[in-house]
Amino acid sequence: MTDDPVRLKHRELEKIAMAALRVARILVECGARVRVVHQGASLVARGLGVEPVGLRTGYASQEITVHSGGNTITRMMTIGPHGVNHRLDHAMRRLAVRVSKGGMTVEEVEAEIDHLVKTTPRHPLWLVSLAVGLACAAFGRLLGIDWLAFGPVFVGGGLGQALRMYLHRRGVNSYVLAAVIAFTAASIAGASARLAGSTTTNLAMMASILLLVPGVPATNAQTDIMDGYPSMGSARAVSVLMVMGFATCGVWLAEALLGVQ
Amino acid sequence: MAPVDWMHLLHQAFFGAVAAAGFGVLFNFGLKALAWCAAAGALALCVRTLGLDQHWSLEAASFVAAVSASICANLFRRPLGPRGNAVALAGCIPMVPGAFFGQAILGALAVTTPHPENAAVILTAIEYLLRVLFTLAAIGAGLAIPAYLLKHREF
Repeated sequence: MTDDPVRLKHRELEKIAMAALRVARILVECGARVRVVHQGASLVARGLGVEPVGLRTGYASQEITVHSGGNTITRMMTIGPHGVNHRLDHAMRRLAVRVSKGGMTVEEVEAEIDHLVKTTPRHPLWLVSLAVGLACAAFGRLLGIDWLAFGPVFVGGGLGQALRMYLHRRGVNSYVLAAVIAFTAASIAGASARLAGSTTTNLAMMASILLLVPGVPATNAQTDIMDGYPSMGSARAVSVLMVMGFATCGVWLAEALLGVQ
Repeated sequence: MAPVDWMHLLHQAFFGAVAAAGFGVLFNFGLKALAWCAAAGALALCVRTLGLDQHWSLEAASFVAAVSASICANLFRRPLGPRGNAVALAGCIPMVPGAFFGQAILGALAVTTPHPENAAVILTAIEYLLRVLFTLAAIGAGLAIPAYLLKHREF
């Protein structure tokens, strides 16, 4: 088969567009702001020798249009569940900077992305559960729980986080997951705090679900709007409201179960 | 000027640091960055507590605390690098009024019962909801304004 130079150019452009989109997608999934996502994708595209004409990032998908010579193509990629992963986020940013300096092929960039996704370290499940339980208990002290409720909030928050990671891996819807975790964590914390003789059972139940508070998306929503991306900012704000709404349903059920007012 | 309750201040700073570091683990910060998260959390809660002790509103105290965390993250750019903004954000997470939001929704549920007890229930629910919105806005604005003004927004 003879190579058609125009088609070959399109294929090269497509590979570059998809590599830039992959970096952008991972950045979004790691909790980066849209400005950072666009900067990352642009650095990759330019480093691979093409000019990004336009980028659009939505909550569930993103698009890029790249241009080189006389050819322009637009490609789209879906985005997976949004989370927060600081180390992978910054590994991707460093990769984008490296690519922008030139000298890497698309294949090398793709291989490096695969490598980073596989090897960027994550804290073990037990450590995350322990840390989140402690964070909830500390949050509880800031809210005014008594010392008798400290342990119950620690246990409720920690077990809630362990269950969250288990259900997340099983692909449970993130809003349903928020309700289930809130119910479980608040029930455990509330029942244990009451058994321990705490006078702040209600606050303890609230503190145990603070692992669900979407603080990063909430502040990103504002920053995205300030940066000129109101659609993504609004989508993030709505998702924050949805998570908190479902979490409150879980607490409400737990309060009804325990008879807490 | 109201006197400072040092024990209360230390208590808030300590638990602010623990909460920020705990959330740092959840957000997969590296070990070195976790120490910075704890420091940012302690600073933010210190400033907010001092503000509340001076009878500022929660929103005003949270705003000044977020500004302080953001300015410090920008001042320490050399050791922190581009993760400065993320560290400041992690430090402000313990100030996010998640419990107020829950209480606002639960209050709203009480309002919609067939025979709501009294008007105070409605007022409390609205107060909590507004407090959540304004405090979140204050934290977001407090984190963003110094970063924009100091123009340290490198990738």
